[in-house]
Amino acid sequence: MVIVRRKELSLRERLYLPEIARGLSITFRKLFEKPITRQYPEEPLPKDEVTRGQPRLVVKDDGNIACVSCGMCEIACPAYAITIDGGETDRPIEREPKKFEIDMLRCILCGFCEEACPKDAIFMSDELELADYSRAALIYDLEKLKRPKSALQKRIDYVYRLNNRWRKSSSTS
Amino acid sequence: MSPELLEIVVWIVKVHVIFLGMVGVAAITTLAERKVSAWMQYRHGPNRVGPQGLLQPLADGVKFIFKESLVPDGANKWMFRFAPALAAAPAMLTVAVIPFGPDVTLFGITTPFSIVDLDIGLMYILAIGGLSVYGVIVGGWASNSKYSLLGGLRASAQMVSYELSMILAILSVVAISGSLDLREVVMQQKTLGEWNILYQPLAFLLFLIAAFAETNRHPFDFAECEPELVSGFHTEYSAMRFALFALGEYCAMIVMSSVAVALWFGGFSVPFLPEAHWALGIVAFCAKVSCFLFLFLWVRWTLPRFRFDQLMNLGWKVMLPIALVNLFITGAVISFAPQLKSLWNGLVNGAS
Repeated sequence: MVIVRRKELSLRERLYLPEIARGLSITFRKLFEKPITRQYPEEPLPKDEVTRGQPRLVVKDDGNIACVSCGMCEIACPAYAITIDGGETDRPIEREPKKFEIDMLRCILCGFCEEACPKDAIFMSDELELADYSRAALIYDLEKLKRPKSALQKRIDYVYRLNNRWRKSSSTS
Repeated sequence: MSPELLEIVVWIVKVHVIFLGMVGVAAITTLAERKVSAWMQYRHGPNRVGPQGLLQPLADGVKFIFKESLVPDGANKWMFRFAPALAAAPAMLTVAVIPFGPDVTLFGITTPFSIVDLDIGLMYILAIGGLSVYGVIVGGWASNSKYSLLGGLRASAQMVSYELSMILAILSVVAISGSLDLREVVMQQKTLGEWNILYQPLAFLLFLIAAFAETNRHPFDFAECEPELVSGFHTEYSAMRFALFALGEYCAMIVMSSVAVALWFGGFSVPFLPEAHWALGIVAFCAKVSCFLFLFLWVRWTLPRFRFDQLMNLGWKVMLPIALVNLFITGAVISFAPQLKSLWNGLVNGAS
């Protein structure tokens, strides 16, 4: 059992009006303070290398993606958002994806694909906006997923810094 | 043009200017409400439609007109349709006797700047203003919803309780100015020292509190109490019918503010400039009314809602006795003024 002991109100408080005036003065002062809400499309969200946006495929400086369609990300993906069809290529890596699709409506932006990738081909970008008129348009294919390395450099460096805490040798890419 | 025709033309122009002006101000007040609440809560408020969101009321109006106006299945169809008009009309009617400005001289025509100058103006306002509760209770009853019905009942109980104190508070001012004509009352307050607020501050306070209750505004908006009654009497209303309730509420706010300004704050008289131009008089009146409208918004976004029993306690056990005592003392002072004066003189003379 809890006994709630109400505070005994003073005369000033029981008269209401002085306390109302006090409340009014507080709200009046707040009237002139700067709004803390963000005007979203004009003032975009602050982005950082820590921002885990939608996954994107890195296009290396030679114009190819690093993906060898090993399927690690496909397996790591908890939402089954990634679909890869592998194929052969004449490049030294021998394999590349013929089809690489991420269903952005399924993707939960967890970043497991980024962690799973042995070839540093997929990284979480800082792109967060996702809107279209049909479901089909939100299943992103290779062309929509490709991003130049420069656009993802900050994130790549961040992941390296993070991983290098326990891994000394740098990645192959 | 014959004088009669001229009078009719002047009258029609005045009706349009004042009525449309009031509806326009009511629309702007809706925007002001959202803006003020936003600023008080560190937000921006509506700012997408037009410069700084100034066209928001227009956009809202268009939206209200084009929305589907639903009538619930079990509702009393005709009463349901009639109630919004009944709620909005009294507030719009009462504006007729508000003296917005002194005699206006334009194009060689001189006319008082109010739709009519009724010598029982105050009684007219109280009589017609009291009708506005019918809109709320009819709307609540016709909706065939328990929440709406409760909202309507609460509104009626509340308005009956508070109208009493409000009338008594107004009577105190009427007693000292000796007139029910608002323009006459205003004319007696030409200079700052003659403003009734100096002689009847308690009556003003009572009127102000009662006005909040009468217009169904916070902290007394029990008729549309969201957490308990899901918006109360207008739960079932949509589209323009819903908007009419809101319009009525804002018009009532304007009328109440105007009455307070006219009775206690010198109406259209400009402080320190007793012989000011009529345009300045109108500006002064509008400025004073704006201050009151701001107070309405300010209080709404500061105070939490009362509890219903607290509201009734305040109305009957606190405000009514104070209003009665105030009226009694006012009456006593007025009727014994000569005796008091001679007594005072006697005291002063005896002392010296």
